[in-house]
Amino acid sequence: MMAPLLDQLLIALGMGILGAVIFAGIGLISGSDETTTLAPLTLLVVLLGVPAPGILTFFLAGAVAKHMTHAVPTALLGIPGDTMATPLMREANFLRNLGVPHIALRKMISGAVIAALIAVPMAVLFAVMLSPFGDMIKRAAPWVFLAAAIAIAWFSKGRLAAVLTLIPFVMVIIGLQTMTGQYGVKLSVSYFLGIAIGPLIAALFSLLAPAERDKMRRQDVRTFSLSPDVKSWGGFFPNPLKVLDRKQSMWTAVTAVISSATFVFSPVAMTVIMGEMVGSRVKHVYHRLTTVITARNGVTESTYIAEALIPLIAFGLPLSPVAAGPAAPLFNAPPRFSVDAATGQVNNLHSLLSTWEFLGYGMLAVVIAILIAYPFTMNYAHRAASYVSRKISHEAVIATFVGLILVIGIWEGGLLGLLVIITVGLLGGFLSRFLGFNIGVQFMGYYTAVLTVPAIVAMLGA
Amino acid sequence: MKSELYEVWGDTVDGRHLIYAIAIGAIVSLGAFFIAKHLLVGWVASAQMARAYAMLIGIVGCLAGGAISAALFKPKRHVMEHQADPAWRAQVLLELQNEFGDLGKLSDLPPATIAELREMDLYELFADYERAQLAKVDSPEPPALNVESAVSIKGGRS
Repeated sequence: MMAPLLDQLLIALGMGILGAVIFAGIGLISGSDETTTLAPLTLLVVLLGVPAPGILTFFLAGAVAKHMTHAVPTALLGIPGDTMATPLMREANFLRNLGVPHIALRKMISGAVIAALIAVPMAVLFAVMLSPFGDMIKRAAPWVFLAAAIAIAWFSKGRLAAVLTLIPFVMVIIGLQTMTGQYGVKLSVSYFLGIAIGPLIAALFSLLAPAERDKMRRQDVRTFSLSPDVKSWGGFFPNPLKVLDRKQSMWTAVTAVISSATFVFSPVAMTVIMGEMVGSRVKHVYHRLTTVITARNGVTESTYIAEALIPLIAFGLPLSPVAAGPAAPLFNAPPRFSVDAATGQVNNLHSLLSTWEFLGYGMLAVVIAILIAYPFTMNYAHRAASYVSRKISHEAVIATFVGLILVIGIWEGGLLGLLVIITVGLLGGFLSRFLGFNIGVQFMGYYTAVLTVPAIVAMLGA
Repeated sequence: MKSELYEVWGDTVDGRHLIYAIAIGAIVSLGAFFIAKHLLVGWVASAQMARAYAMLIGIVGCLAGGAISAALFKPKRHVMEHQADPAWRAQVLLELQNEFGDLGKLSDLPPATIAELREMDLYELFADYERAQLAKVDSPEPPALNVESAVSIKGGRS
């Protein structure tokens, strides 16, 4: 009995370290979106047959580590590390201009540590409170997804436009599925990747159109000012509670608890709202900047953890923007993991791990990520930012992602898979740019097409 | 000569370099994938696992393609080591005031934050600002903070 448990623990530990190291590195690259990076790599881990605890620790440790190191470009270079870092830019830039970017950085990652440690037990607690309703929600899954899709669309930037755009978007996905089905090809990852990487595909197509190309033309390279290195603490592993003052620790904890409960909302929106809530309660402007940036970066951790864990533990259905996006492979990764809406049958981490295991492995993942990313960011932030901005060209980043599109598309469905990625990506990229029909809404559109539409067809047929 | 620099997906690239980089990325990643698939189907027992490993090697190929492009094409960024100019700090205070209104009083701050401000040499800046504010209440003069040659440091509201 003991030996298998020890095996599982070692695998969980190893995969957690792997996830934390990989995503601590990816976090340093500005603009490396969570969905585009977390989803495909997690999918790979699932399909390679890694045991369930290892999958969970890989994903969670990766997400937590990334949301610590994303503070490096955000604070030191003034460019958002990823999508979740965009709500932090205003405070980060003010602190940078005041000449104290290292303070912004230290506060951000210390907030992340506290919030991540709080979020796991909170998420498990909320999931346990919700799980009595699990069966009901599973049976009503097609309609829950439709309601969630409409709600997430309404709260996106596009508002009514996004809600209405769901209809043609769902039509396109059904059309593509029917088309590939005629050749016996059933795709899912290609849709995820197409949606996640849509903005890049749309940008590359724009570059081919003369009028758009002229708009994208730049006369000069961009100038980044990298703030100098200031190390003003002793030792290798500083205590986050000493980096923050009492009020900042308290607000970070409060916002972490609140944002753990609100798992159905967009994580970016929660980060903005929680920051405003804290900001309005701190009087002096310097204290406000540092407290808001601390709490906000804490929220980037807690929303991600809760939005992945709560639906996973309570329902096994991807019912949150994170679960539908970056965490999607934890729910649905055919042929290994599947969600069948018609029968309410779920076969994924939900059915493979118990609540206690979620708590245990979840805490393990967070602790691993903290032990790796926190001292790394505290001690090497400046050198890392300098290396990435001087050595890694944007051309190389784009080339890597183009390679990813080609390999994943052809791996899943040959030429058809590739065509689906490009079609969905181009459409989604432009809908997101012009209508505010963002990536989260597109993922919900995909689930509506896969889960809700068959239920509607069945209902009308009966 | 027309500039060949474009802003794509959030950063600047050179058009020609981008085309080469994409070609390299495509060839290396797909090459790795197809070669791995061809070789592994014979070796690995289950065809499913062979395909999964081939994808893994394809993804390593993506990274290798990216690494080659990074070695060949230098970033189109100008990176300066730079400490925010102390002369700008007063300007930053003005921008903060425009953004948030009242900046608050130092007397509201807990001792830990006061110590932090002193350590960063920011305490005097805020203290001067407060004195200027008080002076403004006494005499209806414009604030003494208006720095000439106001270089706009954007707060980066997005």
